[in-house]
Amino acid sequence: MPLISTRALTKRYPGGITALDGLTVEIGEGVIGLVGANGAGKSTLIKILLGLLPATEGEATVLDLDTATHGARIRELVGYMPEHDCLPPDVSATEFVSHMARVSGLPSGAARERTADILRHVGLYEERYRPIGGYSTGMKQRVKLAQALVHDPKVLLLDEPTNGLDPAGRDEMLALIERIGRDFGMTAIVASHLLGEIERVADWLVAIDAGRLLRTAPLASFTERTGQLLVETEEGGEPLAQRLVGRGMQALADGRTVVVDIASAGDGAGEYAVYDAVRDEAVALNMALVRIEQRRHQLEDLFRTGGTDERVA
Amino acid sequence: MSASPEAAGTIYDIGYRHYDGPRLGRRGAVMAVVGAGLRAIFGLGRSGRSKVIPWGTLILATMPAIVAVAIRVLAGDLIELYSYDSYLWQIGALLPIFVAAQAPELVVNDIRHRVLPLYFSRPMSRFDYVAAKLGALSLALLSLTLLPVLVLFTGRVLAGDDVVGAISNEAGTLPAIVGTGLIHALVLASLGLAICSLAARRAYAAGAVLAVFLIGSVVGEILAEAGGFADVAPFLNPLAIMDGTRQWLFGGSVAESPVRAADVPLALYGLATLAVTLGAWAVLAFRYRRISV
Repeated sequence: MPLISTRALTKRYPGGITALDGLTVEIGEGVIGLVGANGAGKSTLIKILLGLLPATEGEATVLDLDTATHGARIRELVGYMPEHDCLPPDVSATEFVSHMARVSGLPSGAARERTADILRHVGLYEERYRPIGGYSTGMKQRVKLAQALVHDPKVLLLDEPTNGLDPAGRDEMLALIERIGRDFGMTAIVASHLLGEIERVADWLVAIDAGRLLRTAPLASFTERTGQLLVETEEGGEPLAQRLVGRGMQALADGRTVVVDIASAGDGAGEYAVYDAVRDEAVALNMALVRIEQRRHQLEDLFRTGGTDERVA
Repeated sequence: MSASPEAAGTIYDIGYRHYDGPRLGRRGAVMAVVGAGLRAIFGLGRSGRSKVIPWGTLILATMPAIVAVAIRVLAGDLIELYSYDSYLWQIGALLPIFVAAQAPELVVNDIRHRVLPLYFSRPMSRFDYVAAKLGALSLALLSLTLLPVLVLFTGRVLAGDDVVGAISNEAGTLPAIVGTGLIHALVLASLGLAICSLAARRAYAAGAVLAVFLIGSVVGEILAEAGGFADVAPFLNPLAIMDGTRQWLFGGSVAESPVRAADVPLALYGLATLAVTLGAWAVLAFRYRRISV
């Protein structure tokens, strides 16, 4: 049973901008990366899932509840961390997060207890009693995450959670998200345009482009082997490539690297035959090898090549 | 949830704990916003400085009633107690000060610092949010518009020799007291919040509230004294509009109010009050519908 599903979901804003264009997708448990360029429709999808925006066409359900009719119930069970700044400067993190817990429907005692717990989990200690206005960007992002977590939601919607953070801050935020997925048993949907970050935390990816689903699959399948061998040499790969082609293989030199098509080594010869051939020719040329590895797809390929031929309807 | 019996003083990570207690939903959300609003208005849990104006105005508004009642009870007929009808008009200037100082606290920062999406992504709607803020400010204002008059009422009852008889004598005035207090609180809260919701900063909001009350009453007075405009004057001053409404509903005129100098049907004040309130609500609806999440 998917936690979230959309069917032919379309959102057109007044003024003719189509943010979502017939998006149909099912999302299960885990840390889900929602990837796409800026303007691909990620934030719009999140707001429809929260019941904050009505869809123009189609439908969406969260935890089996229809976003159009059960928005309030959904918002009780979902945590949302917006992309933009959203914290009042003149109250402390403790005061703010426990207030937000109560607005989520928690009784005051539970709100206080969970606020203390959650602020500790996100790594805010003594500073939580000071006004938020004096916090660093990293600390503010932690407060934003804390207010999304404090009511123990089943699903967490994080919109560009590493926005504005320095590299160390990014690492810490990503580690937190990873921990939420692993130890807190929550499903976290992380919208981001930074593939390198998503790669580090997500175990499933939903890629959208121009409001349409590009592909949804486990992260691993986005970075599958390409069936090519990448050979890096010390001095330049041209002579090696020529000798491999001379053996009837498909090999292409590009500067110091040579890309060899594994299948071209002959029927059923397999990758070991290619490894052997590369080794033998390198010895014959008296050439130094830096590394030999199976080439993998890069996540970026998805968007670089347009990826339209891989689209799942 | 495994709390192992470790030695006292040991710090250990108990891991993440899930919450399976009650969730109070929309009602809980509204109550939380009302409660937090009241705490903010009266500066509870905040610095002493933020308590000065709300508690100062509350004391100033209630003190005359308490003192008069005390003298009356102790010294008998030495003085005449204030009338219910005129009391709110006497403390009138305190009401805009209270609203100007405390209403911006409720709404301005939530808009300015974009906190609203965090509210609207919880089990409350935009309508619930505005209603909760309005409720908090109205309740707070009742401490000025109802409490002092209830003190007077209690004084009158206790001052007589025959308390039971006094209660039955005075009971007839309760609807007027409560009705007047409610109308003042709701209208002032609506107008105050509507003005504040349009301001970018708390200081501007406070200034705008004061301006609406002060400019109206000053211009009204000038017009009235210039002659010929005495009928218009009260309608420029929200406090006078409400005083006229009070007279229309419950009777009893106030000497200093511009309502006395004007010669218009009292029902017009009721209409004006309705128009001001609905207008304020329309502004609030417009303002909060436009905020994108």
